[in-house]
Amino acid sequence: MTTATVITKKERDWHRVGTTLLWALTMLVIGLAAALFGNSYQVTLLVNLAVTLILTLSLNFVVGYSGQFSLAHAAFFGVGAYTSAVLSKTLGVPPILALPIALIVVATLSTIVGIPAARFHGYYLAVATLAFSILIEIIVRQSPSVTGGAYGLQQIPYLDLFGRIEGHAYGIVAVVVFVVFFLAHNNLLRSRLGRAITAVRDNPAASAAAGINVMHTRLFGFVISATAAALAGWLHAFYHRALNPMLFSAEWTFIWLFMVLVGGIGHWQGVVLGTVLLAILPEFLGFATDQTILMVGVLMIAAALFAPRGLGGFLDRIAAKMRS
Amino acid sequence: MTASIIQVLLSGAQAGIIYGLLALSYYVILSASNILNFAQGEWMMIAAVSGAVLIASGLPYPLTILLSVVIATTLAVTAERLIVRPLEQRGASLTVVILALFGVMIVVRYSTALFFGRQEEPLEGPFGNEVLAVGDSIFLPVQSLVVYAIGAATFVGVNLFLRHTWLGRGLRVAAIDSYGAQVIGIDLNRVRLVAFGLGGLISAIVGWLYGPLYAAGYLIGATPGIKGFIALFIGGMASPWGALVGGLFLGITEVTASRFLPSIYAEGLAFFILILVFLFRPTGLLRRRTS
Repeated sequence: MTTATVITKKERDWHRVGTTLLWALTMLVIGLAAALFGNSYQVTLLVNLAVTLILTLSLNFVVGYSGQFSLAHAAFFGVGAYTSAVLSKTLGVPPILALPIALIVVATLSTIVGIPAARFHGYYLAVATLAFSILIEIIVRQSPSVTGGAYGLQQIPYLDLFGRIEGHAYGIVAVVVFVVFFLAHNNLLRSRLGRAITAVRDNPAASAAAGINVMHTRLFGFVISATAAALAGWLHAFYHRALNPMLFSAEWTFIWLFMVLVGGIGHWQGVVLGTVLLAILPEFLGFATDQTILMVGVLMIAAALFAPRGLGGFLDRIAAKMRS
Repeated sequence: MTASIIQVLLSGAQAGIIYGLLALSYYVILSASNILNFAQGEWMMIAAVSGAVLIASGLPYPLTILLSVVIATTLAVTAERLIVRPLEQRGASLTVVILALFGVMIVVRYSTALFFGRQEEPLEGPFGNEVLAVGDSIFLPVQSLVVYAIGAATFVGVNLFLRHTWLGRGLRVAAIDSYGAQVIGIDLNRVRLVAFGLGGLISAIVGWLYGPLYAAGYLIGATPGIKGFIALFIGGMASPWGALVGGLFLGITEVTASRFLPSIYAEGLAFFILILVFLFRPTGLLRRRTS
């Protein structure tokens, strides 16, 4: 059972403004250094890491802080990427303007999927999102005139901000986008809505009694998380400039869930560390051979059994030791 | 025209019974333990693949069926005993339990790919793979008759078990109120173990219904596994019959659609129907009788 207290003391310590700023500054400095001085392979790794961090933090937001099981993160990521790409390539919309449109499209879609699930807690969201995820993949594969079908989209335009953004410059953009996202994420957790979201997770009845609209709060948590996945999709699309329907595969969602589990569900520091750790082992993500997928499965079981609180639990123990 | 309608209904009922049985196996576990076990489709795959391997090794056919069903059910029970029970006793959150079962799904599926290979092999049905012609326009594989008969028998059997045995009633009580069940002396661990075993058994039986119609291979559990819980959510969780209703509804609609619409639409239909059901009738087609 989850504790009845909405924010534990431990959580409050982690939510201090100073902690957030310190993390943001550290990640900004390391990220910018990597973007400026890394070679092209390292910059690609950096952009992919920024994309994955946005995905795992937002997945952790809905699974960990909101207590709902979303299995459509890859679908929202894919829709964000494809919407941006189709807008800029086919319709000639500037990439920077494609971002708000992609966010609105995904926010709308996730609201439609999320409404019935928010009314009925339990497995509704998990089942609805999984169904949605598979349906979207089928639709994308079957409409080649818009999405390029199984072949995908190539030669997506470059991101254009006072000149063409690619290579190192794109690395800087990715780091800045991520850090802004990170600040917004932590700010949201401390806001009234963020506290309401964790309160509804811990005790829906008590939250309702305290005047929180449980259904709206759950829906907001889900839609915000989905929209963040679209941001990651946008960031991904204009760096790689080629997309294929593999992006929508539900297996990606499982890999991100695995990163969240290793980091510690509902523990953003742990999730950041876990993602960095698992994402910079490129073999781990790049080549989905049977053996690596099998290994993810074994580690998933092992993490659940032996380290259910993940790296976050480890961090908490160190912090407790340092205080005493 | 009549013949083609009958043909569609026969094939639809066949798919529907397969979905319905899988839905039933999700239902049993979900009601006993509140766990949606996404690994449920893998036990049917294990039954079919180990069946194919055992037939190739020259074992007598009846023994092959028995042994492969035992293997699949044992794996399902083992997963409960070694993974789910320790997590539940530690009071792990549902999210962690479900993720661990995702892990089980991945491990079972891809270790089969590794040891058995990625190929798909035909599986011989209990009464062969012939096709009977009724009149001149209706065709019925013998295996379809097996699906109807075994499917009906499994549904009736599971219902009798849930209504008339001590264990089955314990399972239903745990579904209504797990705390109350403990108070009156029902061992929830045992209930969960039985539910995973029964769910595994049903799924393994499905392996022998679906396998001969399709093939045996490491991925065969994936799509029916997903359709199974979609059928459950379409039919509703009010009673075990919700699983059958959802399965038949889904099966017949899919086959009808693939007959009259391009197959592109039929493929995504199940997911589309589910989202419609969630929007307009979220408790499913069958509702609990209120007294």
